[in-house]
Amino acid sequence: MAKETLTETIAVAEAASIEPQAKQTTSGRLFMWVADNGIFVFTALLVLFAVIFVDGFASLVNITDVFHRAAPIGIVAVGMTFVVISGNYLDLSVVAQVATSAVIFIAVSNVYGIPLAMLAALVAAVLYGLANGIAVGFFKANAVIVTLSTTYIGLGLLRYFSGGSIFFGPQDGPIREFGLGKLGPVPYSAVVLLIMTILLSILLTRTNFGFLVRSFGVNEKATRLSGTNTGLVIIGAFIVTAIAAMIAGFVLAAFSNTAVSAMSDGYDFRALAAIIVGGTSVFGGKGSVFRTLLGVIFVSVLTNVLVLSQISFGYQQVALGALIVLAVSVDAVARKVSKR
Amino acid sequence: MTETMQLGKAGPQGFFGRLRTVVARRTEGRGVALLAVILVTVAFVEPLVLTAYPVSLGRIALIGIVALGLTAVILMGELDLSVASTLALSGVIMASIPDLRLGVLAALATGLVVGAINAFFVAVIGINSFIATLGMLFALRGLAFVISDEAPVSLANKDAGIAFGLPLIGPLTPRVLIFILVFIAIQVFVSRVKAGREFFAVGGNRQAAYDAGIPVKRRILTGFLISGFVSSLAGVINTLERTTADPTAGSTVLLASFAAAIIGGNYLKGGRGSIVGTLIGATSLGILQVALTLSGVQVPVQEIFIGAILLIAVTTDPASIRAVVGGIRQATRGRAKTETA
Repeated sequence: MAKETLTETIAVAEAASIEPQAKQTTSGRLFMWVADNGIFVFTALLVLFAVIFVDGFASLVNITDVFHRAAPIGIVAVGMTFVVISGNYLDLSVVAQVATSAVIFIAVSNVYGIPLAMLAALVAAVLYGLANGIAVGFFKANAVIVTLSTTYIGLGLLRYFSGGSIFFGPQDGPIREFGLGKLGPVPYSAVVLLIMTILLSILLTRTNFGFLVRSFGVNEKATRLSGTNTGLVIIGAFIVTAIAAMIAGFVLAAFSNTAVSAMSDGYDFRALAAIIVGGTSVFGGKGSVFRTLLGVIFVSVLTNVLVLSQISFGYQQVALGALIVLAVSVDAVARKVSKR
Repeated sequence: MTETMQLGKAGPQGFFGRLRTVVARRTEGRGVALLAVILVTVAFVEPLVLTAYPVSLGRIALIGIVALGLTAVILMGELDLSVASTLALSGVIMASIPDLRLGVLAALATGLVVGAINAFFVAVIGINSFIATLGMLFALRGLAFVISDEAPVSLANKDAGIAFGLPLIGPLTPRVLIFILVFIAIQVFVSRVKAGREFFAVGGNRQAAYDAGIPVKRRILTGFLISGFVSSLAGVINTLERTTADPTAGSTVLLASFAAAIIGGNYLKGGRGSIVGTLIGATSLGILQVALTLSGVQVPVQEIFIGAILLIAVTTDPASIRAVVGGIRQATRGRAKTETA
């Protein structure tokens, strides 16, 4: 019953956004098309540009490096897509989550072995997800402020217990093998990203939970009135994000074979850039996990091109910040155009 | 006639009745409670904080000045996350210009430009202010790195910086005096000036404010200009006091200033709040920080404290409490229904 009502809600919402489009002028329609599908073209053009004009891009070493760097951010981003689609802006605390998971993974596995380390990291991830989810879902608090505070609480706890020190993994063993291993030219970390994308995409599009996350993003009130416990849906979205961040922490720790509380600085922002550039709307409801994967490729290739062209870290930050604002602006204007 | 008179006096009678209405109308309750708890605890555990009040005042001014500007934006239901980077960027710009006066002017202009850009994205393009200012937060930090060449820039005129750190009137340093001036200016603006009072209307119900003829977009611009200007002022003060400008400055200020504004009872969806509340919030956080530092508590633990206070503050505003109570009531009622059915 609930699901049928919601299907109608979504159908109505989609119809409302599609119908006026047909009446648009050619330029309006072109803009809408670019806003919706531009990322496919832009990614293709960017890769083409990089292959032709950027020295050292199209080498096996560099491509492997791009994969290695993209994988942890991408895993965070595909998880965080759930929070963004549910209309709760973003989860800033992924920075703390990735670092916590990486430090726990290396520090605990050195003493008690890998399974126990994974279990401990999972407990931490679920705690993060619950704290964020309860505050946002049941207390209806602002997600940006809640996750800002949990970032500081989490990083503070991590620095306090780790004493800010760097943890080194063993020189050989399964962690190292996984971190450096490859499937053909593709590192295992990128394979994990691909598997996560497929799993989370199924979760978002083929299950009741994913359906409720999307419908909450489209219309919060209708979702609640149809008898859904919306608080639980939000908690679920934050836990999915936290578990993805945990896996990203494993991948990052295995690759660098070290863990320190500052290792994931800027992950919140890069993941958000990937999600938004991929075409998932910060207004909620619209988007997909595969689009996020595309956004991850775009952002990673762009960063790599900037690094290869010896553009400083500062300019990279400026470029990514501008990219976020530009992508959201396009989305916002497209919404206005389609409402007209 | 007497009946209508009595109808008009529907409000509660007597001193305590009136007191209750006044208290119910105010939004600073949680801030006052926190301040009281902190003051009492500090008086017993670390009385040094109260005797060394110039230190506490300096800390309060540091947290509070950015929070005051932020409050102007929060009153309209918007948020300005870019304050931290504005602070860093204006400091770096100021330090990289050899002439001090020109540097200060350029820094303050930076704040106004940032505010105008934020307002453009929020009011004209229609992006949610959380996301627009988050993008600006990273872009401006990048710009600060570019201008400073990724290293702290030291101020050319070191004497001015040293003079700036000395007490000016009694024990009050220029930083504290500027803080007090900014407080008075913004307080007068939002409570006595028409444009400032309209901030509450814009935050309370934007459509109604628009229908009532309030130039909503211009008010949003004013709000972001205030927060941009005030955070660049904080950047100038910081740079003068430390005689260097650090491109990474302001990351702790972000957390503390949001915490101050939200503890002070400023409702994030806008329309309710006060500048006095922000002052109370900043005061409690400043005293807490100084007390923790004096008791030898490590910085990470201080971050945990402030993060926890922010989390509690944002989950205990009246709307959140209502949401939880409503949720519980709905859940119990729903169960009762299914039992009878």
